[in-house]
Amino acid sequence: MEMNAKEAELFRDKQIGFFIYLGVEALMFLTLFVTYFIFTPSSEGPHPSEIFDAMTVTLSSIFLLSSSGMLYFSEKALSSDKKKSMLVWLGVTFLFAVIFMVFEISEFSHFVSEGYTTSTSSFLSSYYVLVGLHAAHVLFGCFWMGVLFIQRFLPQFPKTLYYEKFKIFSYYWHFVDLVWIFIILIVYLRYLI
Amino acid sequence: MEISIFGFSISAPSDVIAAWISTVIMGGIITFYVVKTNKFPLIWSYLRTTNHRKIGTLYILFGFLFFSRAGLDALLIRLQLAVPNNEFWLFQFEKYDQLFTTHGTMMIFFAAMPMLLGLMNIVVPLQIGARDLAFPFLNAVGFWLFFAGALIFNFSFFLNSAPGIGWTGYAPLSTSIFTPDVNSDYYVFGVQVSGLGTIFTALNLIVTIIRHRAPGMKWFRMPLFTWATFVTAIMILLAFTVLAIALYLLMFDRMFGTKFFSGPDGDPVYWQHLFWIFGHPEVYILALPAFGIFSDIIPTFSGKRIFGYSAMVFSIVLIGFLSFTVWAHHMLTVGLGPLLNTFFAITTMTIAVPTGIKIFNWLFTLQGGLIRFTVPMLFSLGFIPSFVMGGVTGVMLSVSAADFQFHDSQFVVAHFHYVILASTILGIFAGIYYYYPKMMGLRLDETLGKWHFWLFLIGYHLTFFPMHITGLNGMPRRVFTYDPGDGLTVTNFMSTIGAFLMGAGILFFFWNIFKTHRENEPVSDDPWNGRTLEWTVPSPSPEETFDPMPVVEGMDPLWIVKKEGREMRTTTDHRSTPIARDSILPVLMALSLAALTFCMIYQWFIASAIFAVGLFALFIVRSFTDEKKEHYGKGEAS
Amino acid sequence: MKKLGLLILSGFTLMLSGCSGINVLDPKSSTGKDQAYLIWLSLGIMALVLIVVFILFAYFVYKYRYSEARKDYEPVDVEGNRKLELTYTIIPVILLIILAVPTVRITMEQSPDTSASQKPEDGTTKIEVTGRQFEWEFKHENGASVKDELVLPEDEDIEFNLHSEDLIHSFWIPELAGKVDVFPNKELNYVIRDVERGEYEGKCAEFCGVQHTNMTFSVKVIGKEDYKAYINDLK
Repeated sequence: MEMNAKEAELFRDKQIGFFIYLGVEALMFLTLFVTYFIFTPSSEGPHPSEIFDAMTVTLSSIFLLSSSGMLYFSEKALSSDKKKSMLVWLGVTFLFAVIFMVFEISEFSHFVSEGYTTSTSSFLSSYYVLVGLHAAHVLFGCFWMGVLFIQRFLPQFPKTLYYEKFKIFSYYWHFVDLVWIFIILIVYLRYLI
Repeated sequence: MEISIFGFSISAPSDVIAAWISTVIMGGIITFYVVKTNKFPLIWSYLRTTNHRKIGTLYILFGFLFFSRAGLDALLIRLQLAVPNNEFWLFQFEKYDQLFTTHGTMMIFFAAMPMLLGLMNIVVPLQIGARDLAFPFLNAVGFWLFFAGALIFNFSFFLNSAPGIGWTGYAPLSTSIFTPDVNSDYYVFGVQVSGLGTIFTALNLIVTIIRHRAPGMKWFRMPLFTWATFVTAIMILLAFTVLAIALYLLMFDRMFGTKFFSGPDGDPVYWQHLFWIFGHPEVYILALPAFGIFSDIIPTFSGKRIFGYSAMVFSIVLIGFLSFTVWAHHMLTVGLGPLLNTFFAITTMTIAVPTGIKIFNWLFTLQGGLIRFTVPMLFSLGFIPSFVMGGVTGVMLSVSAADFQFHDSQFVVAHFHYVILASTILGIFAGIYYYYPKMMGLRLDETLGKWHFWLFLIGYHLTFFPMHITGLNGMPRRVFTYDPGDGLTVTNFMSTIGAFLMGAGILFFFWNIFKTHRENEPVSDDPWNGRTLEWTVPSPSPEETFDPMPVVEGMDPLWIVKKEGREMRTTTDHRSTPIARDSILPVLMALSLAALTFCMIYQWFIASAIFAVGLFALFIVRSFTDEKKEHYGKGEAS
Repeated sequence: MKKLGLLILSGFTLMLSGCSGINVLDPKSSTGKDQAYLIWLSLGIMALVLIVVFILFAYFVYKYRYSEARKDYEPVDVEGNRKLELTYTIIPVILLIILAVPTVRITMEQSPDTSASQKPEDGTTKIEVTGRQFEWEFKHENGASVKDELVLPEDEDIEFNLHSEDLIHSFWIPELAGKVDVFPNKELNYVIRDVERGEYEGKCAEFCGVQHTNMTFSVKVIGKEDYKAYINDLK
């Protein structure tokens, strides 16, 4: 995708702005990780190792983390102007994200059905606000992909602008995946091993 | 008080009724004026604007409106405290708690912050030769988010539900166990929404300063206000983000039963840590831009460049960094233990060093100059000794064992009003007088300005100097009265007189604005004999500035060419400018977020979900109508 | 500017002349005296800075003001002066070090902590303090407890074990010594040494709700024998 000098400059502005924004997001998650670290495990309620399920975490992680790869293929196809293959890979990314969300929702509803809600203990409080905020990011990303999907079909939408929007989304998506890796390490793994 | 309208009987306290009546009357007058002079096109253009000067003007306008309201709260506080065992109107117990909560929250978040952001918005692009902020649309969003947050917060009072938990919102008082009503939710959501806007604006300013400087405007040629803005914006990103999470956690504690700040494992001190990791840098977020303004005004009216420019830059950066290492000095009495108490005492003391460097550099800028006592300069000169007095008590407070006595007493109240008013508020007034030509194309009246300055400054010292003694005599903060035998009567009464002098000063400011606009005498591009780029553009600054683009040849670029008696060199070879198009979307986005949070406050979750969908729909509209569409995809030919 | 100077000057005189009457500066315990010493020391050191700034400020503003005689004067740009700037970097550092040494010493000694001393030493009286909306309860060593009235033996070190039943309060007797916060989730210990005979007023210094203002208590320091009799009577 060739941008002219003006577009490249404006894209660079947006890129830097968005990276700073992701820095803000990273700090938010960092604060929540610290919160989780402080409040887990708690003196009342279940111990994390009693309720975390390795299978759900593994499966959902596989889908979410590989979706980053799918998005990368889509991005490659976009760069070489292969519309169809780009759309297919974007569709796969979307599908994987939805599957992740299904796992996430089933995990939450399973906890709730067992009586483990936000008010059960400070461990579950910090678990829900952290993992829930991440899930909200994935959900937002799903809608965002939907918008990108439609925009690709608009004839009057400049290709360079589409490329810019796609790139910004990809930064977002990889970031959300990166946060998930930290969630695996800090939230789950310590209590699953 | 009970009122009966059309058979409905509403019971509300008389202060709320008074507020409704005066708002309706004011609203009526404004509507009448708008209709009579047909100001609708003007209002419509400001609603849709993405221009940095107009948004900056809006920031200052509404910041000043909320400043007036919070100032009125301060006067009511002082009336209640004027004499011992006083029962002024309704302002005891809850009503008094609501007064000081509103006063603090509004002054910090809805008065000082927006007025500073407004000045940054107006001045920074002009100082560095940028045609607008990097993201004009986002700039409008940032402003309207602040506006929405302020609207939510203010609305609470009109529903007789103003929060009464202090501007610090200490848990567990702020959790639903102790304040189950919606009052505290207004605090949580109002601050959260406007904080989000502040983060966006800070981000915008950073990218603008990094990417949009004019040719030749190297980092170490930037005016100090721009430097201060840059460092402040970075601090905002760090501090307000932590605040956002703190409020997020408090929201969950209040609405969804989480147990962060209460319960068997909950820790109230954790709130204090999060709050002050935000709160202490916030103090410098308020002070640094003001330092920047003074650093530009003092050289202008001394006719001499700033003394020790690089030391000034270095100390701004150092203050910014150190401000993140001192937060627990607000918590020396919570039992962090001797080691941490000592550590935070020492880090706090170190901040005095870069601040001292700045003070002396300002003093030595005056030396050998030709000092013109214009109103902006008077405010800047008033700042120096006043701020140093506040700084002195700051060092005294850092002495942790002594702080066991000072903490949460009126002495602390005296200290932080000394520093914040001297730096931020005098800085804002200095900035408004100085930059009014760029905002409005008019210059504020000097005589009235001097009345404003002297009344305000004398009132300020009269209010807050005796307050030190009030505190040392054992009066805690946030109490609504005292006994005649406590030895607090004289100093409290002095403070009340002082507060009204400040109020009188503000009335002169109102009169000044009114008079200046009525006389409407246009002012030249460079009314103050300025030194920097902003004085090369017309007054008021037009939407298309810097065409052709000036080439910056050193620090104080305008002064350089004035000295050499020539025009500024210009170029057509410069980077592409931000793309802007007026849009109503920012207002709509902010309003739907306000509606969403309003429904959240009353826990109408379905309604808030609907507004969330609406908000998301606006995002989609935004993406599809991106103003870049008309400028992109033109190939290399552009 | 002159008005400002006058105001500040009158303020200082007021402060200095009135100091004997100012509670915090004239405390009735050795803990409080240490704190007052720090306050005076820091005020003294800072007054030096203040005076230097005020003199320079007044002198520069007066000397370099715009006047008809000087109106054609063209100021010379000065970039800075490394030596001068170093001077006013280093001198404050030295002043702060002078201030930091006693600060560290007294802070290390006085800071409230979560670990209670196991055995009360001789000359130490333990008081358990409970704060709740909106009253104070004081439990003496023999188990007797009183509300909103604190009676202490003179010349003893008093160890307060403080804790709250609801939210955060802060325990403060300005005439004796500094305050310490009272938490629901932890117990803090704070020692006030060598309390002197007299009657004082204690207050809550952390905003805790509507009756915060009225959450006060009376403090009476009496002779040791009287104190023994007092707590025995409570039983």
